[in-house]
Amino acid sequence: MGSPAIELKGLQHCYDTDLVLQGIDLRIEHGEVFGFLGHNGAGKTTAVNILTTLITPTGGEASVCGFDVVRQRGEVTECIGYLPSEVRMYGHLTALENLEFFGRLSGLTKPKQSAKDTLKFLDASDLSDRRVGTFSSGMRQRVGIAQAIMHSPRVLFLDEPTTGLDPLGVRQLRETIVALNRERGMTVFMNTHLLGEVAKVCTTIGVLNRGELIYKDSIEATTARFPDEGSLEDIYVRMESVKGTQR
Amino acid sequence: MNAIVTTVASHQILALRRRRVLGVLVGSLVGVTVLAGVLGWASHQTIIGVYDESVKLLTSRSLAAPPNPFLLKPVLSMLSNMVIYVTMIGALVALVFGHVIVAEDDTTGIGRLVFSRRLSRTQYALGKIAAAGLTLGFSMLMCALVSIAALILVNRTLPSGGDIGRLGLFFGFSWLYLMVFALVGMVTLLKSGRRSLGLLSAMGVWLVVTFAVPQFTSGLRPSQSLNPIVDPISTSQAFFKITRRARPFSIAEQFKEASARMLQTAPSEPISTTLVRVLTIAAALTLLCAIAIRLVQCHDFSRSNSGE
Repeated sequence: MGSPAIELKGLQHCYDTDLVLQGIDLRIEHGEVFGFLGHNGAGKTTAVNILTTLITPTGGEASVCGFDVVRQRGEVTECIGYLPSEVRMYGHLTALENLEFFGRLSGLTKPKQSAKDTLKFLDASDLSDRRVGTFSSGMRQRVGIAQAIMHSPRVLFLDEPTTGLDPLGVRQLRETIVALNRERGMTVFMNTHLLGEVAKVCTTIGVLNRGELIYKDSIEATTARFPDEGSLEDIYVRMESVKGTQR
Repeated sequence: MNAIVTTVASHQILALRRRRVLGVLVGSLVGVTVLAGVLGWASHQTIIGVYDESVKLLTSRSLAAPPNPFLLKPVLSMLSNMVIYVTMIGALVALVFGHVIVAEDDTTGIGRLVFSRRLSRTQYALGKIAAAGLTLGFSMLMCALVSIAALILVNRTLPSGGDIGRLGLFFGFSWLYLMVFALVGMVTLLKSGRRSLGLLSAMGVWLVVTFAVPQFTSGLRPSQSLNPIVDPISTSQAFFKITRRARPFSIAEQFKEASARMLQTAPSEPISTTLVRVLTIAAALTLLCAIAIRLVQCHDFSRSNSGE
């Protein structure tokens, strides 16, 4: 059996004395679009920070494409693309200059051409020569996606990607995620609150509650398991309330 | 230089140029060089004016005129104010500059995007230090060119090779000194993690290094600055013994003393003594480089303080 796209084994993390992740076990196969759900402060962003090698976990193991995020950081960063919840770039530089920089950091041989091609793929070529500081949230998000995918990563991490986007922007993002998954075979790991979008885009969901993974299954299996609930939102609320009652 | 280090450095320089930080840095340092030149020229003109009047008076009385005082003074003495400007204005500008180089990546969250790429934190830190070094080096080169132009204008002759060499040495040494403060700006921000606190701490370091420490080491006995005879009473006291021992660590003073020798505005001293002064500042720079790299390695770039 080949290595999964993402694997967490007893993953723990604490900030000072605050245990944010309490031993998570998770396996995500290649080609999945995984929706990571949970209330604010559940530990979703911490998990993404660990998987993108930004922070070192205090316990357990995590690997991306078979590479350990601590011991094989370089290999992991070659496999991943990352879009944080609020995209910030060098505001005084143009979108193309920013993308060229990130392309160089990823070791692309023709970063400028890759940046142009990626902006074209995202239908955002008109943004290339404009300064990022003048962009709206939606425009910044598109340039952010471009920096995340321009080096053709195998796994794409999106942390609350719809923050600050208008309905049209959310729809564009959804279409982009679907295209990246279907056309380029990218595995997508998405932290989000928008359950409607999760239902439309994701193949699998996981629910994190106070640092514990309380549920993980495919969308089809989830809807089949909760036939009385009308939507994914109702299912999520039920899961959270059951967990709350157990405490 | 490693390709990633070059990428980080060149991108940083481009960002600084676009934000006009580079223009402000070069402008302010060249500005103080011009000011030093103008003050030197004004002083030169005043003394020459007085000298010419004296020569006229003495000649009318059939008395022998003394030689032109500027023939007795070294050519570079005209730029003696530069030493003060570098320690006060230059260091302050370098400090803010070092702060700005790291601040954007740290506090706006760009660091999160950068470190999700295949670069090591050491490469990133070296890239930032290289960017600071190159920009300050460019500024010093501009200052040196302006100084040479000022010397040519005032003396109406090309400075000798030796003078140009000394000037080059002085600006090279100034670069070393300013790099110390650029790194202080970086280190305080990385250590505090907050933009305002980082800048305030850096200012505190600048105040201590530039004003407080020299007050304890040589400022306590100002008469010694005028008369280099050791005061037998004060040196016997424990407090003054301590301050005397602390003096080699006062990098502002080491800079002033060594620079004065380079510009020939102070009595000469053994070359080994000047070398020790230069090495003290080089050691401070090396130490700060190591601290900056270590702090970048430990710093949590996943948290940004953009709301500050």
